[in-house]
Amino acid sequence: MRLNIYLAGVGGQGLITFATVLGDAALRTGYKVLIAETHGLSQRGGSVDVHVRIGDVDAPLIPRGGADVIVAFEILEAFRAVSYANEDTVFIVNRRLIRPPATRQRIPRIEELEGILRNSIKNMHFINAYEDAVKLGNAIYENMVMLGALYSIMNLGQYIPRSIIEEAIKANVRRDVDKNIKAFALGLKYGSGTA
Amino acid sequence: MSDCTVRLMLGNHAIAHGALEAGVAVATGYPGTPSSEIIEYLIDYGREFGVYAEWSSNEKVAFEIAYGAALAGARSITAMKHVGLNVAMDPLMSSAYTGVRGGFVIVTADDPNMWSSQNEQDNRWVGLHAYIPVFEPYDPQSAKDFVKMAIEFSEKHSHPVILRSVTRVSHVRGPVTVCQPAKPRYAEGYVKDPKRHALIPANARALKEELIKRWGIIERSVDELPHMYVEGGRNLIITSGVAFTYTLEAVKNYGVRASILNVVTPVPLPRKTILNAVSNADRVVVVEEGDPVVEQQLKALLYDEGIRVPVLGKAENLFNRVGELTINSVMDGLSKALNIVNPLLSKNPVKIDYTPPPRPPVFCPGCPHAASFYELKISTAKAGVKPIFSGDIGCYSLGINNPFNEQDLLTNMGSSLGLGMGIYHGTHGGEFVVAIIGDSTFFHAGLPALVNAVYNKTPMLVVVLDNRVTAMTGGQPNPTSKVDIGSVAKALGADYVSTVDPFDVKKAQEVISEAINVVRRGGVAVVVMKRGCALEATRLFRGYVVRYYVDENACKACGICYNLIACPALIPLENRKAWIDPYMCVGCSVCAQVCPYNAIRPEGNVKEWLSKWAEM
Ligand code: SF4
Ligand code: SF4
Repeated sequence: MRLNIYLAGVGGQGLITFATVLGDAALRTGYKVLIAETHGLSQRGGSVDVHVRIGDVDAPLIPRGGADVIVAFEILEAFRAVSYANEDTVFIVNRRLIRPPATRQRIPRIEELEGILRNSIKNMHFINAYEDAVKLGNAIYENMVMLGALYSIMNLGQYIPRSIIEEAIKANVRRDVDKNIKAFALGLKYGSGTA
Repeated sequence: MSDCTVRLMLGNHAIAHGALEAGVAVATGYPGTPSSEIIEYLIDYGREFGVYAEWSSNEKVAFEIAYGAALAGARSITAMKHVGLNVAMDPLMSSAYTGVRGGFVIVTADDPNMWSSQNEQDNRWVGLHAYIPVFEPYDPQSAKDFVKMAIEFSEKHSHPVILRSVTRVSHVRGPVTVCQPAKPRYAEGYVKDPKRHALIPANARALKEELIKRWGIIERSVDELPHMYVEGGRNLIITSGVAFTYTLEAVKNYGVRASILNVVTPVPLPRKTILNAVSNADRVVVVEEGDPVVEQQLKALLYDEGIRVPVLGKAENLFNRVGELTINSVMDGLSKALNIVNPLLSKNPVKIDYTPPPRPPVFCPGCPHAASFYELKISTAKAGVKPIFSGDIGCYSLGINNPFNEQDLLTNMGSSLGLGMGIYHGTHGGEFVVAIIGDSTFFHAGLPALVNAVYNKTPMLVVVLDNRVTAMTGGQPNPTSKVDIGSVAKALGADYVSTVDPFDVKKAQEVISEAINVVRRGGVAVVVMKRGCALEATRLFRGYVVRYYVDENACKACGICYNLIACPALIPLENRKAWIDPYMCVGCSVCAQVCPYNAIRPEGNVKEWLSKWAEM
């Protein structure tokens, strides 16, 4: 088994926590995991990506065109991630637009951006992670909603039991564990593989 | 070993844990991406096992402390980013001459592709330059194993060892077998040996002879290390470090048929091991991250041995000389070298008709640097000076971007003052220089430069952006928490020194204006802009909910707030009025002070919050 999961987002959106929880859960289930992260200056509100590789893997980076699934925490970042996609890649995109500051370029409205993605990508899933997270009281739970969405859409239950994801949340998230578990559960509604 | 468990671990934490398992007693460093988490871990977890771990004021000091400890006989480690090692080069060169008593490992975390650096120097050269062996791990597990090996090797040969990591080892998480830390090995006392430890020329000459002999022994000993050989036919690929993992995948998944030899030590090369492998090969390809360090040594070795076999690598431009390796670039090179089809090229790319604007990093919401840059810009403009903004290394490097454009030069730690003085003298006093430097960088390399400015009477405005922590690398503490920068500047004899809160927009502008007048009269003026990092403040003082909102009726859509402060929480609406994202705003109050129409209003107790924040 080999799963290449490419995460794209904006610094501060919790991509590393997402990857750590997923990776830790995979490792606890008995799979090898490699996660390549972005740290340092680029984390300050800039574009960030994280490569998560599970199963039979040796190298830290996903090949271009080699992602099984792309999880975009922000819609513009989904466009930037396409070089990692092939025709079969599943896109899971947060319905959230964060304007790059100080740009003169006109940014299309989010509905337009959604339309462009739908026209070009076969396996397209949009997630209202921001709304779901705010319902729980804070936008910071967005990442766990996205994790729930990934888990159900990609039917990860066939590899990693849900209870182990919850264990991994407990082990890796420092604050508000219950809310994070709830956020994960909220994300499960986006797919059918809830296991 | 029953008390070992497998954990998902960051490469840097694995390095640190390897040091704990090896019984390291003294650990020092200066933060720098991608190295910072090594010392962080040793401070957080090592101290409870009795390890002495510290953030030092710069890499040279860090190096000397670990080196001194090893001279006494303790096991020690020092960790820094690649360019940090430049700062420590002086003691590093000496350490090979004196040798050490306790195991001494120097970790350099190189940053190919310059994710967070000003260059991508390959510090394996340093090993060749200084006669110090270099161990190069390829993933988190090997990082832990190699640190332990390196400590043993160092102690066995009484010689320092460099461990070279790269971003894609240091910042990769993977499974690591974690065992109990060993008891830290401190020295029982320091046994004097000035003939060896005091490098006056007479001693140094004798020690150089000894060093060359020791290097010969080291060259032979590295053959005993567990280099990895994967049998796969008469094409031989020699790798070092993370290049090994890409090559392994190329062989396993992408149709490359070759044997692989991965060396533990790119410097010096394990000669016997290599000659052995080469004797079964018709063709050799070298894959390595960075410069052709292995490749060039290999060619020299084969020439010496009279072996004629094609060696392909960076000299043939098969692999990129700029940026980091990827599985794609490795497959590109290997397919050319071995005349095979690259299966990665046959994948159908996905096409999409829209390219989003770039999203460079920006100042955080409520970042005091944004306020400082705004005030500096307004005050210099009001005073009618057109300064050269000599910048420095830190989060404030982001002042290079719109709307600030206040980092005209920026080359290395502490360069703001030195280059600034050079611009002043080089233009025969024709330019007005503002040197902008952070608190940690001030203590790191700014101090001697400020002394020089006072001593050599070079008029200059020095703005110290004191946000109380080393923010860019994750908020590490630094001397500013104990040593007051304003007092230091006064004691050094600066003509004008003032400390001001950048969140007090009017006051800050007044202070800068005064300072400008002092510089105009030929003085050295130091303005300390003191206000804690917003990211750290919101982390430290959780629970305060103070934020600002825009009264849409009062807002006149002038754009001053979002155009001049550029806080990411301030968002222009379609009607050009401002809107504040309530989840992003941290209540710094700066935009409210800047709005000419008083349209930005607080929610919550601002006074209490800002004075809490000022406790940092
Ligand atoms: S008060 Fe204004 S400048 Fe400060 S964080 Fe909030 S929106 Fe940004
Ligand atoms: S500065 Fe004041 S009036 Fe101008 S856009 Fe901002 S909130 Fe509106």
